[in-house]
Amino acid sequence: MKPESDASSSKAWLDPSAWDILILSTVFKVLLFPAYRSTDFEVHRNWLAITHSLPISQWYYDTTSEWTLDYPPFFAYFEKLLSIPASFIDPRIVGLNNLNYDSWSVILYQRTTVIITELVLGAALLRFIRGAVDPPTQRIISASLFLHPGFLIIDHIHFQYNGFMFGILLWSILMARDGNKLASGILFAVLLNFKHIYMYLAPAYFVYLLRSFCLSPSGRIEIKNFLALANAVIAVFIASLAPFALMGQIQQLFSRLFPFTRGLNHAYWAPNAWALITAVDRVLLKYAKSSGSNLHINTAGVVSTSRGLVGDTVFAVLPNVKPLHTFTITIALQSIVLIKLWFHPTYKSFLTALTLCGYASYLFGWHVHEKAVLLILIPLSLLAAERHAYFRTFVIATVAGVFSLFPLLFTPAESVIEVIYSIVWFASIYLPLSKRVYEFPKSLSYVILDLFEKTYLGGFVLLQIFVASFPVIASWKSSTDGPSSNGLEFLPLMVTSVYCAIGLVWGFMRLIFIYLHEDTTYQGQLSTIQ
Amino acid sequence: MVDVPDSISHFPSKSSRKFPSQSFTRSSSTSTSAGNSLVINTSNIHLQSSSSQIIAPIPRRPFLESDASSWLHTPPLSPVSSRGISPTSTRALSPYTSLAGNGHERLSISDSGMGRRWIRWSHKRGMRTSLVVLIFLASVFLKLCLGVGSYSGQNTPPMYGDYEAQRHWMEITFHLPIHEWYSYDLHYWGLDYPPLTAYVSWLCGAVANIINPTWIALHSSRGIETVSSKLFMRLTVIIFDALIYVPAVLVFSQTWYGARSRRTQDLAFLMLILQPALFLIDFGHFQYNSVMLGLTIMAINFFATGHDLLGAASFVLSLGFKQMALYYAPAVGTYLLAKCVFLGPTDGSRLFVRLGCTTVATFILLFLPWIPPFSTSPALILDPISRIFPFARGLFEDKVANFWCASNVVIKWKTWIAQEMLVKVAAVLTLLGFLPSVIVMGKTAWELKVWNGSAETGSNSNEHTQNSNQEESSSHTPILSLLPYALINSSMSFFLFSFQVHEKTILLPLMPLMLLFAGATPGSEVYSWGALGSNVAVFSMWPLLQKDGLALPYFALLVLWNRVIGHNPIRLISTAFPFNSLVHLFSAAVYTAIIFLHLLEPLITPPARYPDLFPVLNVLVSTPVFVCLWLWSIKCCIQVGWARSGPSDLVKPDGEPRHAKLSTAASDASQRRPSFIAKPQGDRTRAISLGPAQGKRLRRSSTHSAAGSASSAIGPSPSSLSRRTTGGILVEGHVEASSQ
Repeated sequence: MKPESDASSSKAWLDPSAWDILILSTVFKVLLFPAYRSTDFEVHRNWLAITHSLPISQWYYDTTSEWTLDYPPFFAYFEKLLSIPASFIDPRIVGLNNLNYDSWSVILYQRTTVIITELVLGAALLRFIRGAVDPPTQRIISASLFLHPGFLIIDHIHFQYNGFMFGILLWSILMARDGNKLASGILFAVLLNFKHIYMYLAPAYFVYLLRSFCLSPSGRIEIKNFLALANAVIAVFIASLAPFALMGQIQQLFSRLFPFTRGLNHAYWAPNAWALITAVDRVLLKYAKSSGSNLHINTAGVVSTSRGLVGDTVFAVLPNVKPLHTFTITIALQSIVLIKLWFHPTYKSFLTALTLCGYASYLFGWHVHEKAVLLILIPLSLLAAERHAYFRTFVIATVAGVFSLFPLLFTPAESVIEVIYSIVWFASIYLPLSKRVYEFPKSLSYVILDLFEKTYLGGFVLLQIFVASFPVIASWKSSTDGPSSNGLEFLPLMVTSVYCAIGLVWGFMRLIFIYLHEDTTYQGQLSTIQ
Repeated sequence: MVDVPDSISHFPSKSSRKFPSQSFTRSSSTSTSAGNSLVINTSNIHLQSSSSQIIAPIPRRPFLESDASSWLHTPPLSPVSSRGISPTSTRALSPYTSLAGNGHERLSISDSGMGRRWIRWSHKRGMRTSLVVLIFLASVFLKLCLGVGSYSGQNTPPMYGDYEAQRHWMEITFHLPIHEWYSYDLHYWGLDYPPLTAYVSWLCGAVANIINPTWIALHSSRGIETVSSKLFMRLTVIIFDALIYVPAVLVFSQTWYGARSRRTQDLAFLMLILQPALFLIDFGHFQYNSVMLGLTIMAINFFATGHDLLGAASFVLSLGFKQMALYYAPAVGTYLLAKCVFLGPTDGSRLFVRLGCTTVATFILLFLPWIPPFSTSPALILDPISRIFPFARGLFEDKVANFWCASNVVIKWKTWIAQEMLVKVAAVLTLLGFLPSVIVMGKTAWELKVWNGSAETGSNSNEHTQNSNQEESSSHTPILSLLPYALINSSMSFFLFSFQVHEKTILLPLMPLMLLFAGATPGSEVYSWGALGSNVAVFSMWPLLQKDGLALPYFALLVLWNRVIGHNPIRLISTAFPFNSLVHLFSAAVYTAIIFLHLLEPLITPPARYPDLFPVLNVLVSTPVFVCLWLWSIKCCIQVGWARSGPSDLVKPDGEPRHAKLSTAASDASQRRPSFIAKPQGDRTRAISLGPAQGKRLRRSSTHSAAGSASSAIGPSPSSLSRRTTGGILVEGHVEASSQ
């Protein structure tokens, strides 16, 4: 995606290839301005209105719109900042009661802010190239991250500001790579106060910074470092929360941030372990019904199908899952990873542990949204060119993860766009990188594994054909049989979710296996950065 | 004059007079032995006349800047290319590179445009084979992104726009019997395109009926604007584009630029596929122009590979899809006739009869349902004909950047001259407009004709002529290299002078210009004109696109396009003084005007007296560019015509001794001096052609004469020339002469 740098451009502010990527991506993002927007667009517009029209004491209390402010304070400040130019461009954008305002001015403005704030990501990625072990490969990875279909789908069509926030995350990771661990910790604390979903990654940060920054290699505590980090992080949190703490709104704020009233699965099952278990439950229920065997059937679970309601998922056959269970499993898996990280606090180990922490939370967390898959894919991409095992994991997780984002856009034109874009994007990464990291399979078991994985990846083509043709075939059927809602309208979603979940769970197993077993014997490029 | 049997038949006396024959022979290495000289782009060579080292004719300024450099010689050893130079050619190369270092036109990689960089990178990264597919998919992605936006006539009941017209045709062709197609409810977007469009509409209608019949339900679907029907309509354009335009362009880039590097071919493909004017009109505004243009390109491809009959049929299909392709008809017709002349009374007339039969048969096939055995009355044929050619409309409708509209600012034609008279004047002006290319093509064919020569050449070459004639019937002619210029000339003269022109019609002159542009090296004249032409063509459609709600895509795609081709209007303006060519200065002026207009438009509301102020200013900026392009195409026609035939009446037939000298001079030529002329065998892949190269045939001919491939450096057909030029031709001389 990015040509190699040439000497003449080193003095330029941005090299030509970076300009190319920027221009190309901006062009298609601009072309996509009129595309479908989810309710998140209105959510963010409403937040502009809240932060602009109301005093700070009202921000977390306002319920004019159903889309109440439920991001941490830094994001609220960020919206406040964005609302200032908005009020000049079109005062109606920040009108509190101007619900569902969708004139061209607000579309233009909000879409543009996403593109501009995403430059944080671009800047971080460019900095990654400088000082990389293998700059040309890092260039490809950087370009791939900047052009990631996840950002295109979620930010530029669906509408969110993930590019901006992952930019901060990548800055933080970059600081860790360059040995500036204090800055890394501060940036992560800032990020947490923008969007609290990044708590998924916090354990890895905590262990890494504690072990490698606050303790000396021999295990002695570095009191100066420790105090610096602790004070800085506390300062960040004070800057964020102090105004609300002084007004005594902390409890209200936290009730907005952590709504524990939601169910195990989101409306569309995020492709995680629970999706698999829910699917098994459904299959068992069908089996129990048809064979009439005397399985204990929970009647509440029979009703609870994934009917697109944000409610509790109740299993019909299997025992029900409580938030505590998910929490325990997640922590248990993360602690395995963190123990390893404690003993090998290198950059590469940190990066893998970070990915695995996000991964474990995604797979076993309570009420995970499919958009959270970016928490896995983005750090995992940085590991992609490490060596073949990582690359293959990256490929499987990326294909499954990006595919699992497709149902997010259900309008016909955007569904075609996302598929084609993802194919082009994937091919432009896969072709150059696969040649770079290719390894000859060592034994027959590797060959068989390789075959299975390739078959699985090939299955996505069939899956896409099925998903795309399903509505047409269904409409033929309904026209011949008469309208009948036999509960099959969610079948493509369920199949997508389950199929992607298989890949993502397998990717997790691969990555954790690689991390725990091979790392010491098998060194990749990133191992040179301590 | 024509029939110098061997050796230096094209010897231009001008240059031979100018330079002592010694230096001349040295400069042009028509060596047959040493495989080490190279065709070199003279535009990049800055020879110092004071240099005692280089005993070569000093190219004078017009020569350096003539567009000849872009087609006569190889592309510069392009910065894009990382291909190793074969060891044998390095000696000849080294002086070039050192000289080129001084050249201000030498481009570093960073200047060479995004397309080149990207293709270079992908080739290096082992994506060579899949690159074409990736480019295609990426373009489909961009087309779909553009398709998300609005289209002509969105949300404007009761008539809507072009989108509704096309959709309505699907509706009526699918639901009505064929003989009602051209007569049904003509007030609501009655069908007024030729039958192939109707058949395509029927096919789309049939598919739509399978997926969702409400999209094309008779009457009730009028003005339907659901998201799914919009996607379907957008996809029909993209699919027909992928079925016709994309393969045509792909084949074009690989045949016409077949002698160029794979990277150049890929770049040509990329440029042709991303051309913003067509992009915006087809996938934004909504039309199926790419089908018509694709069929014409297909015809050119067939001509280039020697399949004239298929080419003619393909062109008729293009006409049958959209009558607008008539703009190309003079050029295509002249080309085919010229080829018949070129081939002589026997072969030529045979070809003529075949072409006639093919053309008529294709037309009949297209109109079959309206012709008596299949229709109820012979009068029915008048329905489509009268719909396709509406003479009842005005001289021009909206503001179009052509002669009539631009001059209308000063001269109110409609009040001065009667409508019928205007039609006649327009016809005559159009005719005069494309006459130069017709004449040049005919004259070139006449001068190069093979049949007259065969009688006078010796028995050996006579035999050869028989062979080459055999080949000729299935091969292209040297006049092929004139075809793109003739296409620009004829379509541009139609655009500028003919009756009833729409601003979208600029796509037609733009297409052949882009075909040439796609293979041009940055900095050459073709490149400059192509970049200017494409940008101004898009600009000339600005009022239309703005009305369609495509303002944002207009700017976005223009930026992308200029980035892809490595053209920077801002830098062009800032470096306008000192300018390095007139095109440069002209471009800078035009771009300044365009940017100024775009900045002015949101700031100033036009006075009530002149509501059309900005469209008229747009016309006044665009028209001069199109007029210049038209003049330029005439100039190029004449240049290329001369290069092909040569002002050969000045040639003295004393080639034999000189030929010997040339051969012995071969070793000299391989010395440390830039040599202008290719040695055939070593570097065939580097030879640039204006016309397509035919790998095998070329190689064969180049083995039996150096001249064969020397001529291949200009044009596509070595075999036709090889007889006449056995021994060595001095292509450089032609250009020298032709650029005077």
